[in-house]
This record gives sequence, structure tokens and C-alpha cells, in this order.
Amino acid sequence: MIRAALFGLEIALLAIALGCGGNHQYGNAASTNEKPIGAPIQIETPLGLPPVPIPANNPETAEGVALGRKLFYEKKVSRDGTVACASCHNPLLGFTDGQKHSTGIGGKTGTRNAPTVINAAYFPSLFWDGRAASLEDQADKPISNPVEMGQSQGHDVWVKKLGADPVYKAAFQKAFGPGPATIGKVTKALAAFERTVISGNSPFDRYEFGGDKKALSAAATRGLAIFRDPKKGNCATCHTIGAKYALFSDGKFHNIGVGVNGEGELTDLGRYSETKVESDKGAFKTPILRDVAETAPYMHDGSLKTLKSVVDFYAGGGNSNPYLDKEIKEIKLTGRERADLVEFLKSLTGEMPPRVGPPGIAETTSLK
Amino acid sequence: MNRSTLFIEFVKKLGTDLSAVIQVVEEAMAPMQARLSVPNFFPLLIFCGAIAILTGCSQPATKEAQPKATAKQEAPPTYFKVDPSTAATLTGSVRYTGPRPARKRIDMSGDPACVEAHHGRAYDESIVENRNRTLANVFVYIKSGLEGKKFETPKTPVTIDQQGCWFRPRVLGIQTGQTLQVTNSDPVTHNIHPLAEVNREWNHSQGQGDPPISRRFVKPEVMIRVKCNIHSWMHAFIGVLDHPYFAVTGEDGTFEIHNVPPGDYVLAAWQEELGTQEQKISVAPSGKIETNFTFKGK
Ligand SMILES: [Cu+2]
Repeated sequence: MIRAALFGLEIALLAIALGCGGNHQYGNAASTNEKPIGAPIQIETPLGLPPVPIPANNPETAEGVALGRKLFYEKKVSRDGTVACASCHNPLLGFTDGQKHSTGIGGKTGTRNAPTVINAAYFPSLFWDGRAASLEDQADKPISNPVEMGQSQGHDVWVKKLGADPVYKAAFQKAFGPGPATIGKVTKALAAFERTVISGNSPFDRYEFGGDKKALSAAATRGLAIFRDPKKGNCATCHTIGAKYALFSDGKFHNIGVGVNGEGELTDLGRYSETKVESDKGAFKTPILRDVAETAPYMHDGSLKTLKSVVDFYAGGGNSNPYLDKEIKEIKLTGRERADLVEFLKSLTGEMPPRVGPPGIAETTSLK
Repeated sequence: MNRSTLFIEFVKKLGTDLSAVIQVVEEAMAPMQARLSVPNFFPLLIFCGAIAILTGCSQPATKEAQPKATAKQEAPPTYFKVDPSTAATLTGSVRYTGPRPARKRIDMSGDPACVEAHHGRAYDESIVENRNRTLANVFVYIKSGLEGKKFETPKTPVTIDQQGCWFRPRVLGIQTGQTLQVTNSDPVTHNIHPLAEVNREWNHSQGQGDPPISRRFVKPEVMIRVKCNIHSWMHAFIGVLDHPYFAVTGEDGTFEIHNVPPGDYVLAAWQEELGTQEQKISVAPSGKIETNFTFKGK
């Protein structure tokens, strides 16, 4: 049995190795000679957050982060030069775009709501369906997506062109040493920058982890109690709060009944597309709730416009469907309790580090 | 060196970050291990998982239609045709002789938006007595006598609106397979929840400005109690029948049921607090049959 299982694992690994590394020329081939060579830096962790996990093959460096930041705001990354990562992950809108569904090149729209970059460094997988295992793995997918940045022909051409620009040429060499720009370096630099987009030290953090009992209003304090109480909001079951820090996500996938149409059918199978596990149908990754007041509209399909409508959605027990998570059920909450929950969610707006906006501006002042 | 170590070496040579790969596999495997304990198929399952991951590596999830049961090729049903030259009409009135129902105020203060949306005071409507000592919101229907006859499903939907944090209408009838259209005219979120017992129970959230939802009930069920999961005072009742012979009394307490084929029937009148009354009736060709019901109160 063990032998059989190991053999299965080998097949699985082989399939993945071939699928991700070998079957297309623009895959995110992370090879060791693409390791950042710049000055190592530490990401400062604000109150309420654990140390940022950093992969061994992509250490944080000043030059790597600077390049990633430049690339993040670079429209030339898209096929027609109109869309940057920041177009849908706008720092002024909590690193989202305020839209129900995002608009890519040529006005094309997707079917899902742009998730925030804030604290994405802590996620064990990326995208609403978790199809990317790391920020490095995630970064090239919106670039090649035909309805996002449109480089669907592959990364070679645009990376070569961008890498020939003298400013970028120097930036790539400072970050990764001699050699041409590659998609591997692009994704590593983007990931290194994204790991610095950390938000903590919110009123909630100062209340919960900083000992400042005045940091939250009375309504927000009541809201926090409802958020935690398994018999009330039951929110913290998935939007986790730890003893020393709070990620506000279990990193798992749940069907909460969003995306069920008027006929009661699921419009997006979510996690199931990845796992083909029946019970994953309609399940999506638990989003981190930090800065949630700034990232409307909500849910994977952007179907809920306000925090109040989100709380009402949960209070009503969502939308029934055969795969609804067992934790989702009708909650008896008074109007005041629902208002308290909204007040608590607003207290999760934290402080962002200074160097996450577009390069050249807001270097020293916070965006907020 | 066993096969696994060899393989790991191979992956290393490929330059792939093995830890990331293993993480992916473990993640994909965990739910499968949890849900399926068929050891002999285990490698196959992992392989399937790998294929799933492989598909996810390069492109975002493609929409996949939910698997649908292959429709059986059935001959179109033969519907019962009512002969207009012999069709009868049932009329009647529902009297009320019980004590005047107390005017119970509904407290909507739990949702301030509802207080505003309702425009004025809301009162309990579980017994609505009309000025002429009759009852409104009584569901009158042919309970038996139509067995074996199949009636066509109307194409037009029946609508229930959530308006002023209230269901309108409160009592309605619908045929099996007919579309129930649910609308929300309010600036608040409702969550309609028909507590069906014969049909499938469901609930659905509808926020401000959300489009109508459309559902069907496949089996006869009199009555389905409907509630809103968010506003405890919101109630409605849906009578589902496999024929079109039903009516709901209005402000004058009367009902009219048209196009009834001649025959012997049991006519029933249902009131949400006062229960159901039945009367046997014989309908002659082209007849006009008057049937009156009297509810005495609780
Ligand atoms: Cu309601």
C-alpha cells in the first residue's frame, strides 16, 4: 500500500513538474541562478502580524523589492501598455479596484473580484481558487491571462523588450546580477515587493495585542465579541484570530453560498476546478479581512456592495446549495448586533508601510 | 536509492522548487484522503489530483457546467382538455364568526431600515377580518376529485415581492413546475426561506437592487410556510397544486374558481391560524356552484 501510494505521489509530482515547468516556454521556471543578489532586508512586522514567510530561493533584497515595486506599477507589462498590476490592485483602494469584476486590456472583464494584495504574503495559496502555491507562482498568471494583461502569446517577447530599456536593464542587474531579464526574475521581484505590502497595527491590533483597551469603540468591542462567539457571528472560525497575532483567514476554501444564481445553481465551481473534489464545488478561499472597509465590493464575484450587506448575507444563512459549508447557517442577530459587527470590521483598517505606493511618490508618507 | 529519492533528484535537476511542489500535492491530497478511503485507488486518485493541479498551473479556472442528468426522452404528456361548453364555476365566501382579532403591532425596530421601508405602522396579519365579517387570505382549492387528470403548467410566473419588510402577497397559490419569481423592492437584504417539507427546502439572499430569483416547486404541497431568515416577523404561505383550481380570498372574502370540469370534488378552505375546512361538492355541467365556509375563530 505504501509503495503504491509513493508511486502515485511520483506520478503526481511528475505531472506537476511537467505541467508547470516544462509544457510552455513562459512557465515560471525558478532556477537558482535567478536568486536576488542585492542587499538583504528585513520586512518589519507591525503589531498583530507574525513574521512574513520568505521562500529560501527568493530572499528579500532592497534592489529586488525596488524592481518589483517598479514592475507592479508598470503598464508596459500588459500587451497594449494600458494595464499595470496596480490597475486592479490600486493602493488607494486597499490594493483592489473598487469594481465588481476587474477590467483588463481592451475593456475586457473577468468573472471574479480582484482580491487585495494586502497581507497576501501570509496565504498558503493564491487566487480565489488557490491555484497558485506562492506569490512567485501567482505573479505571471494575470500577465498572460487574455482578459487581464493579455500577454497570452508568452512572456519572452515583452520581458525581452522591457529588459532592453536601460533603466530596467540596470534595475534587473542590480537585483539579480548579470544576465537578461526573465519572467522568473520578474515574478520573483513582484513577489518580493508584494511581501512588503503588509497592514497591521490597526485599532483592533492595539486593543487585542497592544493592551490599549480604548483603541476600540464600544460598538466595535461588542462587534468583536459577536465575531468570536461561535453561537453568534461565528466569524472567527474561518477568519482566524490567534493568541499573538491575527491573520483573519484560515487559508482554506469554503462554500458560503455566494455565486448561487436565482435558479439555485452554482455559477462558478471555485476550488473544485482545482481539486475535482465534489464537496469543493462553489468553495472559495477565505479572504483576509484586514483593511476590509477599503476593499468593497465583496466576495469572489463582487456581488455584495457594502459591509452591511455582507453581514446581512451571513445573518440570513447565505444561499442554500448542495455544497454549503456546515458552518453557514441562519444567525439570529439583532439590527444593533449587525451594526456592531460592521463597526468591528471597520476597526481592521491598519497602517501600511510607506514604500508601497508608486515609485517616486509617497516615499516617506503613508498612503493614508 | 529507491524510486522516490531518484524521482526527487530528477525534480531537482528540473530546477523546480520541490517544497512548493510537495506543498501543492499535499494540499490537493488532504481533502481526497479525508473523503475517500479506498486504498487500492489511492495512486489513481493522486494522479487525478495532479491532473487537476496541472490544469490549474497555466490557466485560470474555466467555467464548467454542472453535470446534469441526461434527460429521459419522454413523450409529451397528454394534458386534460376542459370542454368549455360544460365547464363550471365555483364561487363562495368565507365568513368569520370568531372574536375580532387583536391588533398586534409588529416591532421592526430590530432593523431600522425596515421601520422606514414599511411606511407607517405594521400590524400582524395572521387573521385578516374584512369589514363584512369575512376573511381575507384564505386559500380555497380543490383537494380531491381531479386524480388522473394532468394539467398544463402556466408559462406566466407567480410573483412574491419583499416590500416594506413584508411578503406581498402573504398567501398565494402556484402550480407544480410554474415559476415563482421572488423580487426585493426594499433597500435592505432579505433571505427568503420556504420551509418546504415535501419539496426541497431552500433559502436565498437578496440584497438591495438584486435581480429577481426564479424557483419551481415540483410536487404538490399545501401549504409551504415561508419565512425571511433575517426578519423574524416576515411570513408567507404558498399552496402548490398540480392543477389550476385554487383561489385566495380578498377584501370581500369571496372566491371564484373558473373552468372546472363537471365531477365530484372535495373543496377545501385553509386559513393559517384557523386550520382547514372541507366540503363535498357535485359539479354539474356548466353549473355555477356556490360554497360558503364559516370559521368560528380559535
Ligand atoms: Cu427580510
